[in-house]
Amino acid sequence: MWEFFIRSLDASTIFTIAALGELIGQRSGILNVGIEGVMLFGATLGFITAKTTGSYLLGFLVGIAVGGLIGLLHGFFSITLGGDQVVSGMGIWILGFGLTTYIGSPYTGPLGMERIPTILGLSPFFFVAIALTVIIWFILSRTSLGLSIRSVGENPEVAEVSGISVAKTRYLCVVGGGMLMGFAGAIYSLDYNPVWNYNFLLGRGFIALALVFFSMWNPFILLGGSILFGTLWQLSLNPQLILPGLMSRYIWRTVPFAITLGALLLMSTKWFRTKWGAATPEALGQPYVKD
Amino acid sequence: MYKVLPENIKRGDTILEARGITKRFPDVVANDRIDFKIRLGEIHAVLGENGAGKTTLMKILFGQYQPDEGEIFIGGEEVRFKSPLDAIDLGIGMVHQHRKLIPAHSVIENIILGHPRAGKILDLKRAEQEVLEICEKYGFGLDLNAKVWQLSEGEKQLVEIIKALYRGAEVLILDEPSSALTPIETEKLLISIKAMSAGDLAIVPFITHKLPIVLQISDRVTVLRKGKVVSCIDTSEATEQSLAKEMVGREVIFRTQRATVEKGETILQVDDLSAFSDKDVMVLNGVSFSISEGEIFGVAGISGNGQRELVEVLAGLRKPERGSVSLDDVDITFADSLKRWQLGIGYVPADRIAMGSIADFSLVENVTMNYYFDHEYYRRGVLDTKKIREITNDIIAEYDVVTPSADIVAKCLSGGNLQKLILARVLSRKPRLVIVDLPTQGLDVGATEFVRNKLIDAKKEGAGILLISEDLDEVLSLSDWVAPIYEGEFMGILPGEDAKRELVGAMMAGIHLDEESA
Amino acid sequence: MRIGSHELNLERRVSLSGWQAAGISILAIIVALAIFSIIFILAEINPLTAYAEIFSYAFANPFGLPLTMNRFIFILLCTYAFIIPFTAGLWNIGMAGQLYAGSLAVYAVLLALGVKEFQSVELPATLVILMMLIAAMLGGAFIGGIAGFLKGKYNVNEIVVTMMLNFMTFWVVSFFIKEGGIFMNPGGRGESFELPPSLQPSLIFGVPFTIFIALGAALLLYFVLRKTKIGYEIRAYGENPTAAAYAGISNFSIPLLVFIMGGALAGLAGYHYFAAVPGVYKIARTYGYFGDLAFYGIICGLISRGNPLAAIPVAFLFGGLSIGARFVQGKLGMSFGVDFALLGVLMITLVAFQFFYRYKLIWENSRGEP
Repeated sequence: MWEFFIRSLDASTIFTIAALGELIGQRSGILNVGIEGVMLFGATLGFITAKTTGSYLLGFLVGIAVGGLIGLLHGFFSITLGGDQVVSGMGIWILGFGLTTYIGSPYTGPLGMERIPTILGLSPFFFVAIALTVIIWFILSRTSLGLSIRSVGENPEVAEVSGISVAKTRYLCVVGGGMLMGFAGAIYSLDYNPVWNYNFLLGRGFIALALVFFSMWNPFILLGGSILFGTLWQLSLNPQLILPGLMSRYIWRTVPFAITLGALLLMSTKWFRTKWGAATPEALGQPYVKD
Repeated sequence: MYKVLPENIKRGDTILEARGITKRFPDVVANDRIDFKIRLGEIHAVLGENGAGKTTLMKILFGQYQPDEGEIFIGGEEVRFKSPLDAIDLGIGMVHQHRKLIPAHSVIENIILGHPRAGKILDLKRAEQEVLEICEKYGFGLDLNAKVWQLSEGEKQLVEIIKALYRGAEVLILDEPSSALTPIETEKLLISIKAMSAGDLAIVPFITHKLPIVLQISDRVTVLRKGKVVSCIDTSEATEQSLAKEMVGREVIFRTQRATVEKGETILQVDDLSAFSDKDVMVLNGVSFSISEGEIFGVAGISGNGQRELVEVLAGLRKPERGSVSLDDVDITFADSLKRWQLGIGYVPADRIAMGSIADFSLVENVTMNYYFDHEYYRRGVLDTKKIREITNDIIAEYDVVTPSADIVAKCLSGGNLQKLILARVLSRKPRLVIVDLPTQGLDVGATEFVRNKLIDAKKEGAGILLISEDLDEVLSLSDWVAPIYEGEFMGILPGEDAKRELVGAMMAGIHLDEESA
Repeated sequence: MRIGSHELNLERRVSLSGWQAAGISILAIIVALAIFSIIFILAEINPLTAYAEIFSYAFANPFGLPLTMNRFIFILLCTYAFIIPFTAGLWNIGMAGQLYAGSLAVYAVLLALGVKEFQSVELPATLVILMMLIAAMLGGAFIGGIAGFLKGKYNVNEIVVTMMLNFMTFWVVSFFIKEGGIFMNPGGRGESFELPPSLQPSLIFGVPFTIFIALGAALLLYFVLRKTKIGYEIRAYGENPTAAAYAGISNFSIPLLVFIMGGALAGLAGYHYFAAVPGVYKIARTYGYFGDLAFYGIICGLISRGNPLAAIPVAFLFGGLSIGARFVQGKLGMSFGVDFALLGVLMITLVAFQFFYRYKLIWENSRGEP
């Protein structure tokens, strides 16, 4: 039972970090629906690096760097070219999904390295995730930079006339966010389940997207939500631990996705909508063009 | 604060001077050798009609545009603004006509946004201290921790003023400062302006047609016409007539256009109608009235008093909370918008681009918006595009819509032509009730006349018209009944002849008809 | 960018003719193929050789061409599943889940008719096939409809919903065909029971009648979207939902309708691959591979800018490219996933080229004249 909770918290780590990455981007007004693609890149390239060099550190660094690069790409399409952010996000996802399927396939199989040591039985990255949550909360609500980011996401025109460079702020957020997403992917493939398989993230990136919406852009609610989802995900893999024999294990696998649907539905009720409507960054998803 | 001023500058000295400012655009010379001086501590109004060059001059002074010729001097030194940030650093503050605030953030957050001294970690306490000092100096009262969306229009404007002052403004440019304010809020604003000018700031309001305010508050007034300065005098030597004459170039006469028509049957009956706004505030509160054939019912009021919600409920785009609406004795309180079009309601919305038309559709396809549901225009599911095209061509001819063809996309039309198209499309269905919301906003003189005449024609043919307008003169001159609206209630319903300007103005500000002494 | 007295400038487009759009799309494909050649170079293969092999196998080879045709039909149906909601301004990325649902519905009908047990059926084959087609459409329409309903009634983000449904239906298929599921093949092997020869549609040059369905859908869609009342409502809603609501167009019915229609077409794609294409005739063990291929429909839909007729040559080209890429992967000893990598490169190039649909390059001198 304890094992189950540990695995749940470990699973939640990936959701937390990826979703935090998207949260930063969305607070600045940029929507990236292709989180899955960025994570796949981080996971695959991190895995390949670690396997070929034998170094976890290098693996993580590459994963983070690649995530930042893909974030930069999305930023280029969305900010500089002012294009449709959903199209760009879709593109990132399909690019990630397509390219990593090919690039990773020679490395299919286990990582074959000694596992990263745990702290109190938990993956060290769980603590990293908590730290990141606090840091990001602090930056967003207590610093000048955070005020700028939030303003850029609410009303870029006002921010610009107040002396803030909307483009620079958004690029910062989207690259930083991408780095976190790549990091989350690398955590998956190097620590949580170090075996490569094509499309192995199985929709976690999309669930992270739903988590950001559900969290009303508050890092602490996001942390709570992702722990909940981590638990659900673990449950879906090992239903016999809690409710043996209830349903086929295949049906259990659908549970996290069904709960996400439920959460989305909950978010559209009136109560939620008024609270959430107030919290949504006004300018989310809209390109900003300076006169 | 960032002061560029010489040490010994005092009240009454020239702080900002513009010399020979000229700015040309492809079709027009917007500013033509403009000379302009502002003195420390004075309130210097700039007056002019739409198109006189006020906006251009303002943008140049604020650093958004660069002049083609001419120089700007601050405290005697020549300056060049590459962007508004340069102007801000040199002490020029700007309060825009349309609020440039972030509603979701608090007052203090909006004030310190982008301030160079805000520091890495926000020290809201210290900023609050400094802002409170400013507020005390000029007598401003505001809750710094309130969220901006909770404030009234006048309070929001005050936030922008404080923001400019906190950033070090010595010269404060105000763009149409009273346009969005009720008369009471305008009074408060004028008191604030007087306090700031007494505190040795220079205030430059740019105004289009609130002549009484100019006379009330300013020390000097500069009038622009067709890009040139036509006069710059002490306000004590000016009158409303003299200023109007300078602005327009000739004597100005106001004409009424109301036509009298036989009153017919009641078309629209509205009882105790109430509705919530998107923010769950009861913004329309128990409105009752009726409109008969051949009547124009005008609702006068400043935006934000429930007009938009009233119109949306009548058009079927918003559910009412209470009350009833009936058209020709048929209850339509909860009917959807499609049903209302079919029953004979026509609606010309305020936002012609976001709601009234589809920018990337052709003119024919735009006209189809009001015809696709009509059985005469489709057979077995297939639209009769030929017939709709004929209607479109007729509209283009009759309403003089300037366009190369009926197939170009709507976004290519100018504002006036688009409005004519939408109005024509709606009127072509010969509706019983026509709802027009801000029908002449943003239109030039020619298009405005045209639209008003078409409304009068529709009235003569027996339609009932609900007119929403912020232009008090427009409402007064067209309407058979005038209902000033304030905070979601009609302050009274006046017959056209009894609707005098001052009375209606007072009612718009919240005074009920019964309270007003004759 | 200046060169001498002339400048290369960007200007916002006022309008975009069909031919101009086609030109940009074709350029995008060519550039994507050029970029993709890097993959070949990295695998130490001459890209020109590789492309020659791809094109000749896909389009000129007696084995490859029927494969291309069948892949083309599949992609085209998935493209229409994307295009219909796209016309309404909505994103259907759930064609994988919708086609899985369609396939399940098809095999449910067969199960109900006793085909699993008896490997034959008394009813005339044509009637059964008709029932299968209808089942496929209903299955896909149901899953699509969930997304459409949630969007129309509650304005729930359709991207996340369709993606969630993709994963959910994926696992539901596994439930039915593996480890004792009711569709499971008696021989085990983690796949569904087989379609008996009597119910396998006849082929013309290796291609089943579904080609007529796909091409028929093309014409029908083109006509409906352009000329009918409902097509107008869909387009208006897609262009400007606010104006559409103002004009009386229902913002509940339209999302629901377009997702039902799109889902139905994706369901047919499921029928096509799992009950009509030679060599399969069952829900394969690797059904997920086909589901992932369905995403080619997204790119196809974007490149053809939502035009059902323009989608035909594009789907055909992509059908050939993906078959050819798979072939070349095997023949030239490359890693698994070449067809998916191609998918990725095509998509990202297309995203970059979206910019050119809105802006054009002009070459002019300093006075602004060309």
